[in-house]
Amino acid sequence: MCPVDLTTHIAGITLRNPVLTGSGTYGFGEEYAAYCPVDALGGITLKGLTPEPRLGNEVPRLVETPAGLLNAVGLENPGLEEFLRSYLPKVRKLPTAVIANISGFSLEDYVQMARALQRDSGLAALEVNISCPNVKHGGMHFGTDPKSAEEVIGAVKAVTDLPIIAKLSPNVTDIVEMARAVQSGGADALSLINTLLGMSIDLDQQRPVLANTFGGLSGPAIRPVAVRMVWQVSQAVDLPIIGMGGITRWQDAVEFFLAGASAISIGTGNFVNPQAPLEILQGIEDYCAKRGMASVHELVGLAHVS
Amino acid sequence: MGVCALFEHRTSIIEPRIREGAGEMLTEGLVVVHECLGEKEQRLRRLVIKGPIAKTAKPGQFVAVQVQDSSISSFDPLLRRPISLAQISPDQDEITLLYRIQGRGTEILARACCGERLSIMGPLGQGFSVPKEGELWLIAGGIGIFPLYALAQDALARGLTVRLFWGGEHQRFLESAGLLQWQALGIPLHLSTLDGSFGLKGLVTEQVEEQLSLLFGQTKQEQPLSGGSIRIATCGPKKMMQAVTELGRNFGVPVEVSLEERMGCAVGACLGCVCTLRDEAGTLIHKKVCQDGPVFRGEEVVWDVSC
Ligand SMILES: Cc1cc2nc3c(=O)[nH]c(=O)nc-3n(C[C@H](O)[C@H](O)[C@H](O)COP(=O)(O)OP(=O)(O)OC[C@H]3O[C@@H](n4cnc5c(N)ncnc54)[C@H](O)[C@@H]3O)c2cc1C
Ligand SMILES: Cc1cc2nc3c(=O)[nH]c(=O)nc-3n(C[C@H](O)[C@H](O)[C@H](O)COP(=O)(O)O)c2cc1C
Ligand code: FES
Repeated sequence: MCPVDLTTHIAGITLRNPVLTGSGTYGFGEEYAAYCPVDALGGITLKGLTPEPRLGNEVPRLVETPAGLLNAVGLENPGLEEFLRSYLPKVRKLPTAVIANISGFSLEDYVQMARALQRDSGLAALEVNISCPNVKHGGMHFGTDPKSAEEVIGAVKAVTDLPIIAKLSPNVTDIVEMARAVQSGGADALSLINTLLGMSIDLDQQRPVLANTFGGLSGPAIRPVAVRMVWQVSQAVDLPIIGMGGITRWQDAVEFFLAGASAISIGTGNFVNPQAPLEILQGIEDYCAKRGMASVHELVGLAHVS
Repeated sequence: MGVCALFEHRTSIIEPRIREGAGEMLTEGLVVVHECLGEKEQRLRRLVIKGPIAKTAKPGQFVAVQVQDSSISSFDPLLRRPISLAQISPDQDEITLLYRIQGRGTEILARACCGERLSIMGPLGQGFSVPKEGELWLIAGGIGIFPLYALAQDALARGLTVRLFWGGEHQRFLESAGLLQWQALGIPLHLSTLDGSFGLKGLVTEQVEEQLSLLFGQTKQEQPLSGGSIRIATCGPKKMMQAVTELGRNFGVPVEVSLEERMGCAVGACLGCVCTLRDEAGTLIHKKVCQDGPVFRGEEVVWDVSC
């Protein structure tokens, strides 16, 4: 069998392979190093940053649901300044593409962070989270209103030379409309999907389990929703898509490629199996090789061809 | 420009893939013993696993065990379950986990048979510190006793003086949860039960206070007393650990507590498991129970916030 070319081009950056890790599930890149060598990954997406440090929500922040996980971390992060001082010098040395993820409560928040994060920071791209469901006004409004979405993407695009990946919320009626909006705003790529808003109630306490009442649902439970959204968006816009939502096995990843994703991201799947990225990468390669594909890129959107 | 060049360089690295050395923290442990611990009604289990973890593990650390039924692959339950190391036997390459069947995950775990392999992450977190000399007091509430056994063995092997304070619901619980093994260690045991069926009736902390007072005089001093060479390690309900921390402060005895929180990644990557501490400047900060703990200094823990 011929070797399969796994090199992936997205938003003007070259990744050694299409397997990334999801923001908020992979810390600042080193936490999983003892389980999965960083240089085996196509890239890492860092925990969501805000301009100011945040302690996040109270515990409990997590609750397991059928084949899923509800989280309400509430964007706990060290803040921009501390990130630049203590984290960036380390993450820029990681032997993989590092994508920073930014969240904000106002347009100015996003602009402030984008301005501070440029190509010379050593980052590969900026993922703009306009979809965090776990904080009040946590960018969710940017993620559900197409006009605001276009505006915020346009604003960050104008102040940084890094490629912009818009991370969309699935908590909308029409995902295609949102994708079109951020394309107009100048996004270079899309990340689909963030978590679905959910909740869980404790029958003994007769109270919500999460301190925050609501949380974002991730894991295998949301995969069909994510695949559907990737399918719809890939038909409607020209931007490359990083597909995510419930990927735990290579078969899941292949499904996302077939639906139209150019790369995939693993989030909750790392918690289940910290070597999932390695196994998934191997599985993708074998799948392509068996079918005589020279490049993983040949898989992208294949299910659309009638 | 420099950055672009760097990226080209990075992408040209030859694919490493699954390599030697990577993943030593993730192992397929062989189940060598899995049995009921004590009487059936207590729903306690003893699970002995063969694997390399024992070589590096320290008392107070834990593992994250996959609880999926190995015969049918499924993602429900999804997450691993954190369980403390109750015994570490590097010579046999064995670790012992003692656990209570609590919900669906531990129920499924309880079905694992001898000869099966379980996917285990660990050893995880920061364990108890073992002082070089002096006296170690172990204070346990309920199944908080489990991680303290490994600590007792370690401390005794290092020649420390150890005593145990342990409170449980009733005699049947204490007997089921390993009383005999503790008695076999030949250390002083201060036992209490809520119903008075064994040891003293009441809370374990009452006995701790009594012993501390005997040694150092009355409590509630303006000036904390100097607890000399005594150290305390405690595990159990939060309220109990808080009370022990308070006693430690009054008598000048350093206390280490082992906290519990719901976990996602168990390696410090998801921020699901934070606890609130007060740093030296008095500022409230979050630490990760999985990575920075589960053992913390009692006096740094902020007990009265739920986060
Ligand atoms: C560091 C650490 C060490 C532990 N050591 C032991 C031990 O040695 N022996 C033992 O019996 N138990 C121990 N526990 C508690 C044990 O993890 C829970 O009893 C177990 O996760 C319950 O899972 P379940 O599916 O049976 O229960 P469910 O209630 O169905 O679990 C639902 C979810 O909540 C989580 N959860 C429930 N209770 C706890 C808890 N007390 N702490 C953390 N997460 C919880 C589960 O992991 C799961 O994700 C420890 C917990 C921690 C954090
Ligand atoms: C604990 C946790 C924290 C997360 N934090 C962030 C975040 O800070 N920013 C963000 O854009 N997405 C965040 N996400 C969403 C994930 O990146 C991902 O989009 C989502 O979980 C779906 O993928 P999965 O099912 O593979 O986890 C978080 C998810 C989890 C589970
Ligand atoms: S469980 Fe993920 S940070 Fe502790």
